[in-house]
Amino acid sequence: MKPFDIVIVGGGGAGLYAAMEAMKTNPALNIAVLSKVYPNRSHTSAAQGGANAALGNKAKDDTVEMHIFDTIKGSDYLADQDAVDVLCSEAPKIIRELENMGTPWSRLEDSTIAQRPFGGAGRPRCCYCSDKTGHTILQTLYEQCLRKGVLFFNEYFALNLSVSGSCSNGLIAMNMKSGKVEAFPAKTVIFATGGYAKMYWNRSSNAAGNTGDGQAIAYRAGIPMKDMEFVQFHPTGLRKSGLLVTEGARGEGGYLLNKDGERFMARYAPEKMELGPRDLVSRSLETEILQGRGFDSPAGKYLHLDLTHLGADLIKSRLPQIREMSMNFEGVDPIEEPIPVRPTAHYSMGGIDTDNQTRTVMGGVYAAGECGCVSVHGANRLGGNSLLDILVFGRIAGRTAAEEAGRFTPGTISEAELHAQLQEVRGGMQSAGRYERYGELREELGQTLALNVGIFRESSLLQKGIEDIAELKERFKKVRIFDTSDVFNTNLMQVLELKNMLDLAETVAAGAFAREESRGSHTRIDFPVRDDAKWHKHTLTTLVNGKVTLGEKPVTMGRYELQERTY
Amino acid sequence: MTLPAAQHTEGKKNVTFRVFRFNPQVDSKPYFDDYTIPVERGITVLRSLNYIKEHIDGSVSFRAFCQAGICGSCSMRVNGLSQLACTTQVWDVLAKSREPGIIKVEPLRNLPLIKDLIVDMDPLVGKMVHYSNWIDSTMPEAKMGIKEFLISEEEFLRYDKATDCILCASCVSECSILRANKEYVSPAVLLKSYRMSVDSRDSMHEQRLAELVKDHGVWDCTHCYRCQESCVKSIPIMDAIHGLREDAIESRGKHDTSGSKHAEAFMTDIEKKGKLIEATLPIRTNGVVWTLQNLLPMAMKMIMKRRTPPPPPLVKSVKGIKIFRTMFREMTEHVKQDQKSHKK
Ligand SMILES: Cc1cc2nc3c(=O)[nH]c(=O)nc-3n(C[C@H](O)[C@H](O)[C@H](O)COP(=O)(O)OP(=O)(O)OC[C@H]3O[C@@H](n4cnc5c(N)ncnc54)[C@H](O)[C@@H]3O)c2cc1C
Ligand code: SF4
Ligand code: SF4
Ligand code: FES
Repeated sequence: MKPFDIVIVGGGGAGLYAAMEAMKTNPALNIAVLSKVYPNRSHTSAAQGGANAALGNKAKDDTVEMHIFDTIKGSDYLADQDAVDVLCSEAPKIIRELENMGTPWSRLEDSTIAQRPFGGAGRPRCCYCSDKTGHTILQTLYEQCLRKGVLFFNEYFALNLSVSGSCSNGLIAMNMKSGKVEAFPAKTVIFATGGYAKMYWNRSSNAAGNTGDGQAIAYRAGIPMKDMEFVQFHPTGLRKSGLLVTEGARGEGGYLLNKDGERFMARYAPEKMELGPRDLVSRSLETEILQGRGFDSPAGKYLHLDLTHLGADLIKSRLPQIREMSMNFEGVDPIEEPIPVRPTAHYSMGGIDTDNQTRTVMGGVYAAGECGCVSVHGANRLGGNSLLDILVFGRIAGRTAAEEAGRFTPGTISEAELHAQLQEVRGGMQSAGRYERYGELREELGQTLALNVGIFRESSLLQKGIEDIAELKERFKKVRIFDTSDVFNTNLMQVLELKNMLDLAETVAAGAFAREESRGSHTRIDFPVRDDAKWHKHTLTTLVNGKVTLGEKPVTMGRYELQERTY
Repeated sequence: MTLPAAQHTEGKKNVTFRVFRFNPQVDSKPYFDDYTIPVERGITVLRSLNYIKEHIDGSVSFRAFCQAGICGSCSMRVNGLSQLACTTQVWDVLAKSREPGIIKVEPLRNLPLIKDLIVDMDPLVGKMVHYSNWIDSTMPEAKMGIKEFLISEEEFLRYDKATDCILCASCVSECSILRANKEYVSPAVLLKSYRMSVDSRDSMHEQRLAELVKDHGVWDCTHCYRCQESCVKSIPIMDAIHGLREDAIESRGKHDTSGSKHAEAFMTDIEKKGKLIEATLPIRTNGVVWTLQNLLPMAMKMIMKRRTPPPPPLVKSVKGIKIFRTMFREMTEHVKQDQKSHKK
C-alpha cells in the first residue's frame, strides 16, 4: 500500500475531528481513518449529557476563566493548567463551529444554544441536544467527513505499531471482513481509540469495545502511560447492566434517595447536593451502600434515583433516552417509579502520555481523546468536559500531525512482520489440551478490578488485585479461540481485546498501588488525605523489558494555587 | 458472561434460538443451528447470543457494541422482524412466537450478507454519500466558530426526531421496494435527506432534491409504512417522505421528472379505474380508517394544488376500496368547499 502521511486510529469524536482538521491544514496529504466499528457506532454516541463551553447563553455572567477554575478544582489540582487554558478557551469556538456545521443543539427561548447545569460547574454551561448530545455530535462529524471524502477503513482492527529503533514505521491492522493482516506504512499515526473503563466489565457503563486498544498498542511499543490509576466511577449506573443514567437526570432536578427515603447527599455536599462532582457523589453512594442504607436485590445493593416529581412532560421531552433505557434494561418507567442505580466505571482519566500538542515521546506518534492524557482532567473529570476534550484535542492532533508529517519518513513494514503478527494473533486457535475461556477471564478481570481496584482502595486489596491480574495473564496464554475462520472473526477480536485489557489493567493497579494518597477519583482508605508534598505529580507507567515500570512527571501550575477541594 | 441466577421470582424458561448460519469460506448455502438455553425474564436477545457465543459455540457471529440501544450495531431479524437485539426482551418475543419456545434469529435483509448475522453496511453509506446526507453550511469555513446561527425551537423541532436515527438499518431491511430494487434510495437515507433539507443552515437543498426525484429516488416509495412501523427509534419516517415529496412537487416547474409523470398515472388510476394497489396503502396493517385519516390529507393537498400523489408499482383491487372511494370523493368535495370559502 502507498504510504500515508497520517493514519488515524479511531473514528470517534477525536478521530473524526482530527481527520477534518488535518485535511483542512493540508489538503494535499494522504490521510486514512481506521476504525474497528463504523465511525457512527463509536462510543462518542453514548454521551448523553452534553459538552461544556462558557458561551454565556444561559448564565450571562459565565466566563472562560470560571470554566478554567472549575476544571482545575475538579481535577483535584492534578490537571496541567496550561492545557486547561487551551481546553476552556477553545470551547466556545468549537461548540459554535459544530453548530455552524449542523449539530442540532437544543435551543433556548432566544434561539441560542441551550445550556444546563452539570456537576462541578459554577454556572449552567453544558451545551446539549436533549439527551443524545454525543450521538448528534458524532453524526455531524461523520456527515462532514463523508462530505469531504475522508478515506475510511471501516471494521479494521489495529493490532500493533511497527517500530524500528525509536521510530514508528506505521500501523499493522486486521481487515475484519477478510481476516487479512495489512500494513499501513505512515509518516505519522494518531491514536484516538477511546477509553479503557470496560476492563471493569459488568460494572462499567462503556461499550464492549472500550478496551483501551490504542493505549495497549502504544504501551507495548514502549510509550509511557500517564495517570492510569484514575478511573472515574459514575454515581448512577443501572443496577443490572452498569449502563449509564446521565447526570442530566440530576441536572434536571432528580433526587438520590436511600432506603429510608433520605436525600443523603445533604450529608456529603450540602450546597451542591446531587450536583456535586462525580467522584464525591460516587463515594457517597458507595458509603451509603457499605453502611447498609441501600436497597437489597439479588443483582446487588443499590439506591434510588427519583425523577417522579419532575413530571411526565419534562421526562418525555428532556430525558427520553433515560426513560427508554430504564424501561428496557430495568423494567422501570421513571415517570412512575424511581430508577435503581449504583456506581459504575465510566471514564478513564489516564491514557497515553502526551504534551499539549498531543505528541507522544515517539516521533510521529500522537494521541487524542479519551485514549490520550494531556492532562486536562487530572484526578477527576468534570461531566461535559470529555466531549470538549475530544473535540479540542482531536483538532489539535489533526493540525499538529499535518504540520509535522513532512519531518518524518514512512518506514517499511515487511511481509515477514505481517506474517509473524498473523501467526501470533491466531495462535489461540491451535491450543490443544486444557484451555481457558475468554468469557470467564474477562468476567474475572472485571470482578477483581471492581473489588480491589475500585472506588475504595487499600494496600492489601491492591496487592490482591495485582496478583489476580498476573494470574489472569498467565491463564490467558492458554485461551482458546473457537472460531477458526478468516471472515469477520468476532471471537478472535474479543480475545485480542481481552489481551489489551489485561496489559493495561496492570498499569492501573500498579499506579493505584504506588500512589499513597487520596486524590480525585483515587481513594485510599489507608491514605485518606491528599498529600501534595509527595504526590502532586503525574504517574507514568512504561513497559521496560516486559515489566511495568513506574515513573513520574511534574504538574504544570499556573494562576491557581493548590487549595483544599470542597463543595 | 454468566446470567445472574435467581434474580427473578418468575423462574426460567428453556428457549431455543434458531440461528441463521453462513460462513462464505466453507458453506455453499445458509442453514440454521439450534441452541437451547435457560432464560429468565429481563434478559435481552443480545445477552442470550453472548451467552451462546461464550458457552456453547464461539463461532456464532454477530455485531454488538454499546449494548444500550444507541450505536445501531446489533440490528437483526428476530422472529422475522428487524430490530435491535440489545433492547429486545426474550420473554416479550416468546409471548408472540408462532412456534412455542423457539426464537428465530436471522440477518437483516436487503444488504449483502457477510457471515451469520452480519451484513455489509457499505451500500447504505454509499447512498448517504450519493444523496448528500450532510449539511453544506451557508457559513463559509473560514468564518466558522465565530457566531451561532439563531434557530428557533420551532425549527429545531422540525428535525429533532429525525436526528434520533442511529443508522441501524432495520427500516432498510423491512423496506418492500428495496427487496425488488437494491438501488432504491432507502428509508433511512430519505429520512436523513429530509432532516438536512429542513435545516435553515443548509445550502444545497435544491441539489439534493434534484437527485432524490430521479430514478430509485423518493417517487419509488410505495407508502407501505413498513419502515416506520419497524423503526427502532419510533421515528415518523413517513412524515419525512411526505415532506420530500411535497418539496419535489413544489419545485416541479424547475425539475420535471419521470416521478411526477408516474404520479399523474396514479391519479388516473384512482379516478378512472377505481383501483388501488395494496402496497400503496397500509390498510392491511393499520386499517382503512387510519389510512384515510393519515394519508388522505396529504393527497388532498396535492389535489388542490392540481398535483398528484405518488405512483403505484402494482395494480390490484383491494378490499375496502368502496369505502375509500366514497371518502375520497367526500373529502375532495370538502376540501374544494374549504378552498372556495378561503378565496372569498
Ligand atoms: C455512557 C457514557 C456517557 C457519557 N456522557 C458524556 C457527557 O455527557 N459529556 C461528556 O463530555 N462526556 C461523556 N462521556 C465521555 C465521552 O463520551 C467519551 O470520553 C468520548 O466520547 C470519547 O471519544 P473518543 O473519540 O476519544 O473515543 P470513542 O468515541 O470511544 O471512539 C474510539 C474509536 O476508536 C476505534 N477503535 C478502538 N480500538 C480500535 C482498534 N483496535 N482498531 C481500530 N479502531 C479502534 C473505535 O472503533 C472508535 O471509532 C460519556 C461516556 C459514556 C460511557
Ligand atoms: S414506505 Fe416507502 S421507504 Fe418505507 S418501507 Fe415502504 S416503500 Fe420502503
Ligand atoms: S430510521 Fe429508524 S430503523 Fe431506520 S436506520 Fe434510523 S433508527 Fe434504524
Ligand atoms: S449494541 Fe448498540 S444498539 Fe445494540
